Amino acid sequence: MSRKAETDATKGILTAPYVLEYSYTRSTGPVLGRFFSGLRDKKIEGIRVADGRVLVPPVETDPVTGDELDEFVQVGEIGTVTACSWLAEPRAEHPLDKPFAWALVQLDGADTGLLHAVDCGSAENLEVGSRVEVSWRDERHGFITDIECFRLLGD
Amino acid sequence: MSELCAVTGVGQTHHDAERSDLSMHGLVREAAVRALADAGLEWKDIDAVVVGKAPDQFEGVMMPELMMADALGAVGKPLLRVHTAGSVGGSTGLVAAKLVQGGVHKRVLVVAWEKQSEADASWVLMMKIPFAAPLVAGAGGYFAPYIRAYMERSGAPKDTGIKVAVKDRLNALKNPYAHLKMPDITEEMVADSLMLWDPIRYLETCPSSDGACALVLTAEDALGSCEKPAWVVSTAMRSEPTMFAGRDGVNPQAGIDCAAELYRKGGITDPRRDIDVAEIYVPFSWFEPMWMENLGFAEQGEGWKMTMSGATALDGDMPINASGGVLSSNPIGASGLLRFAEAALQVRGMAGEHQVDGAKLAMGHAYGGGSQYFAMWLVSSDKP
Repeated sequence: MSRKAETDATKGILTAPYVLEYSYTRSTGPVLGRFFSGLRDKKIEGIRVADGRVLVPPVETDPVTGDELDEFVQVGEIGTVTACSWLAEPRAEHPLDKPFAWALVQLDGADTGLLHAVDCGSAENLEVGSRVEVSWRDERHGFITDIECFRLLGD
Repeated sequence: MSELCAVTGVGQTHHDAERSDLSMHGLVREAAVRALADAGLEWKDIDAVVVGKAPDQFEGVMMPELMMADALGAVGKPLLRVHTAGSVGGSTGLVAAKLVQGGVHKRVLVVAWEKQSEADASWVLMMKIPFAAPLVAGAGGYFAPYIRAYMERSGAPKDTGIKVAVKDRLNALKNPYAHLKMPDITEEMVADSLMLWDPIRYLETCPSSDGACALVLTAEDALGSCEKPAWVVSTAMRSEPTMFAGRDGVNPQAGIDCAAELYRKGGITDPRRDIDVAEIYVPFSWFEPMWMENLGFAEQGEGWKMTMSGATALDGDMPINASGGVLSSNPIGASGLLRFAEAALQVRGMAGEHQVDGAKLAMGHAYGGGSQYFAMWLVSSDKP
């Protein structure tokens, strides 16, 4: 796409594309930074809050008391689907190039759901309560996409 | 305004070019925790939180204050965001002061911040819009012509800006939180530094900083154990459009009017005599003499004389930016609140090495946009 202004001779109207883009960086901080680094080593960590629950992904401060949190808890690679939505026609930026489900997965040992993709063949194969497990990528860089997706347990 | 309002807690981060050790909310929390500790309060004691920062595109997070509710102990409490460009830190303090003065809340946490390392503010300020003149100048390029105009109008010596740059960086050496630490700075070094936007040299420019500032503002009947409150004796806010026919960008009317209201409400008849120390928003060195005139500390055309005579130095009769000012630390959204906070520290006698002896009445000043938004307050060690 040309970014130069052009004249539409038939209409005599000047038009120009306007692409506004900046580059950003992110400092994840000590808590999310540890969570992402752990994914490199196939380790999923949550954090315990004052009322005893384990939040995954972890947060820096207790959502109820506002206190700083530092009790990391490793959770399992297997979990239970608490909500799901079928995506029949994935587009280029979606994590899988075939139909898949978006799901909240409550990993064993966690009290909250982690949003991720589930590769389960068809919508009929997944429901609230389904058991799923992590499918790791071979090359991991400390991104949430180090988890390629979840699959039905036993698949 | 029926209620008195006092600053009972002040906190700030160690400002730096890149606080990559902290997330955005971790940065903000570092300042807030220090302000609470200073006030002797806990999160549960706070009634409401007021947040200020410069435009969202500086970090690329839309309404970031919402994701900070947990980190700021604001869950279930009113959380308000203020937007007035670079002056926002000051405006945020004023909005919070009104909440206390109006009797809405007893204890308000005020937080302002910027994490400039997450993006490039200069690029954000240089949008090249189709068919518009390609300014591509950033803040320095915008202000340079006004500084030129001031130099010609006042006949100020060419090294006035250089003297300000050296003075503020030497003051910053006495401020443990300041970003720039340049113990060897000299006028020659400033004069030889790169000319970025004539007449603004590299060392006459503020740095890009990550940082946050927090205040606890308290009603008179909620002071608790605070022994050294800084009483808010006067506040004022004004704005004007960036461009209009007859506008004086060197000496904006909104700044003149804002200062006049501040002094009238504070009972100030001669600011240079009555005010002991002032923290003024000076992001480019020449703005010290320009604001001295705009704020009535000097007659028109004579602000530079205060700089050149040493009156604005830490040991002068009108110390300006004892903390090192914006020229030494510029987390943009926080910079205005830092001015307000440093004024409070001065009248509480808690400014450490950069304390002005016996300071009783101090002024905090912030401006933003194209010299179009102004926010000011006067704080005193004496209850009004």
